[in-house]
Amino acid sequence: MKYLIFDSGPIISLTMNGLLPMIEKLKEVFDGEFIITPSVKSEVIDRPMKIKKYKLEAIQIKNLLDKGIFKLSTKIVPDNKLDQEIKKILKTTNGVIRTKQTGEKIKIIHEGEAACLAFSNLCGADNVIIIDERTTRLLTEAPQNLEKLMERKLHVELDPELSLLKDFRKYKFIRSAELVYIAYKKDLIGIKKDKQLLDALLYGVKFKGSAISSKEIEAIKRMV
Amino acid sequence: MKEAGNILRVLKETKRLLEEGNSHELKKLSDKTIRSATITQDADNVIVAVLVYSLGKIIEREHYREMEGWKEFYGSITKNLSQATQCLEKDNVKTCRVYLGKIRNSLNKISGNLSRYIKDIFKKAEINKAFKLYEHGLSSEKTAEILGISLWDLASYIGQSSLSDASISISMPVSKRIKIAEDIFG
Repeated sequence: MKYLIFDSGPIISLTMNGLLPMIEKLKEVFDGEFIITPSVKSEVIDRPMKIKKYKLEAIQIKNLLDKGIFKLSTKIVPDNKLDQEIKKILKTTNGVIRTKQTGEKIKIIHEGEAACLAFSNLCGADNVIIIDERTTRLLTEAPQNLEKLMERKLHVELDPELSLLKDFRKYKFIRSAELVYIAYKKDLIGIKKDKQLLDALLYGVKFKGSAISSKEIEAIKRMV
Repeated sequence: MKEAGNILRVLKETKRLLEEGNSHELKKLSDKTIRSATITQDADNVIVAVLVYSLGKIIEREHYREMEGWKEFYGSITKNLSQATQCLEKDNVKTCRVYLGKIRNSLNKISGNLSRYIKDIFKKAEINKAFKLYEHGLSSEKTAEILGISLWDLASYIGQSSLSDASISISMPVSKRIKIAEDIFG
């Protein structure tokens, strides 16, 4: 068994681009489960269901959950175990970046993102997290970059304790951009394959929240 | 309120800049306030940053001053800003919050297009400040939580961030990430 663990961002980005049918097709060729945690469900279904502007999107995503395209993490890892692990992760990640002057810790990630990491820790199977936002990836893959970025933006000196993150290098992340690339390669978009389509897909997800640079997009296009 | 002293200073500065009609400095003051908010994540700091940015936007649009309801709205801003400042000087944080809230609530008392336009400015200011928190390094969900906005509203803004194009934001070569995707899909 393998798991593709979805954070809220990629589901939002793909939905806003009208690409939910692509997720269904990807699931057909995936030898595993597409997982969402309860906090991701809350952000992509429960909460937008109460906002008229996004209710239709929420219903469409709920339909994928009802059809079993998305599987709730609860069916694999009990919520109480997941919650305990989330707390542990938040305690670590939100204690890493501190200001030098006051020693104040900056809470940088939220329960939703931590839940994806927690499920990855507990699922006991090969897994990849699909997450569009930059901070969680930077924190685990290049925490020194996050520190530099925050110092530059906040105009304060930081005193990070990066050693706390030594166990966080194990996570594997992709973004919705890599997912649309896979769908494109496997001809699952339902539109005739050409470079214009790939360009449109990649910029489509970028402009709906996937943290990917134009250079990276051009690099992906060259891989085809 | 974690930073009453800082907020008091910001409110006094806001009143002065408002009287001078200095929209540029108001927006800069809002940016400074949001930097503090990134660290403290104090809700009052965020509310003040949104308010100050909105006021900068409002006074920038000079034609609003000719519109029906402007006098009442402007009167409400100056009166409530003064009262909020006085409350904070006396450490009365709770009443200070009430006066700050009254500025936005006063929009419900004016008729015509002005109310609609300014409500829209406040809404967009919330998203703008959320975007700033994200640019300062907080995660998107943390940002949405602090501002009390939906990730759905934030998504398009995040997509426009020039930070995604900065090399500092790239934590792995894209070819390696594609390989991860290809491997998991077999």
